[in-house]
Amino acid sequence: MAIYLQTVFEWMESTTVAQTIRHSAKLIALLESIHLIGLTLLLGTILMVDLSLLGFGIGRAPVWRIAKELRGWTTGGLVIMLSSGPVLLSSEAIRCYRTPAFWVKMALLVIALIFHFTIHKKVAFEEPPALRYRARWTACLSLGLWASVALAGKAIAIFQPQEEPIIQSTAPLPHPPGAPRHS
Amino acid sequence: MFLLSICQWLDSTRLNAAMRMSSWFFPTFDTIHTLGIVMVAGTIMLVDLRLLGLALRGEPVAAVVKRIVPWTLNGFALMFVTGTLLFSSEAVKLYHSPAFRIKLVLLVLAGLNALLFHLTIYRDAANWDPAAAAPLRARLAGLLSLAFWIGIITTGRAIAYGSGYDLG
Repeated sequence: MAIYLQTVFEWMESTTVAQTIRHSAKLIALLESIHLIGLTLLLGTILMVDLSLLGFGIGRAPVWRIAKELRGWTTGGLVIMLSSGPVLLSSEAIRCYRTPAFWVKMALLVIALIFHFTIHKKVAFEEPPALRYRARWTACLSLGLWASVALAGKAIAIFQPQEEPIIQSTAPLPHPPGAPRHS
Repeated sequence: MFLLSICQWLDSTRLNAAMRMSSWFFPTFDTIHTLGIVMVAGTIMLVDLRLLGLALRGEPVAAVVKRIVPWTLNGFALMFVTGTLLFSSEAVKLYHSPAFRIKLVLLVLAGLNALLFHLTIYRDAANWDPAAAAPLRARLAGLLSLAFWIGIITTGRAIAYGSGYDLG
């Protein structure tokens, strides 16, 4: 299984799309921005629904109405993330394969997605509204899961795989004002 | 240049040296900064989409603003504090970054847009017909806000990759 997966990741990185992105800082920055805008949409709308579940809704609007009104935008954010994510992944697939944070993120993402489309959906759309403790637990789990997915995503960039040596900055501190930091 | 000398002074402080020596400072504050931006943009987007009539159509604009904007402001405080620290850890570098300059301009424009909206059109929000579309100027403010925040996120990412970043 592991060998099979590694082959898939190596193939991903060998594709023309992956190689083109890999060698273009502008494309990577653009794709990351799109990925972040998707995250913003996803987290913003989910936060609003979870706040409603916690009793901080908009006016006296029932939770199901807020959830229904925002559902399309949550899906939109998800679609943006799930289409930009694999493209970004392909540009450094082998590095991600070796980075534990990547696999943690994938595991959390699967859990968050299953939770979102089963329990969260059921509780948010309950009529009459879910009991208070049920609503609160659902909201807290939802916020926690999605925040963890986002944090694990950030961790992919921060924690490099163990196989590669960690490069420490050798620049003298503090460096002379205006002088180039790296020769 | 006056601004450049401020940046040079920032880079020469002890705090700056401590921040750059630390291996955890940048990743930690960068992460909090990103979460702050997601919080600001994610919440203000809901207001913008409501103004444009694209989401939360069943709720009055004033109710949406009243509930959501405090979160936007909290997120902004988080973003501003962490952003200032991150900036002072590499001030001269950022001084030379075009993406960073554009980001700051967009930030000011987003702020002015929001301020103008709240001081003028929004004052009348209680009288808007909840069933009808928001007034044209309110919709325009929403559209501008969306564009500015998308721009801020994009230029923010570009700082790490754009030309100019490695100049100084």
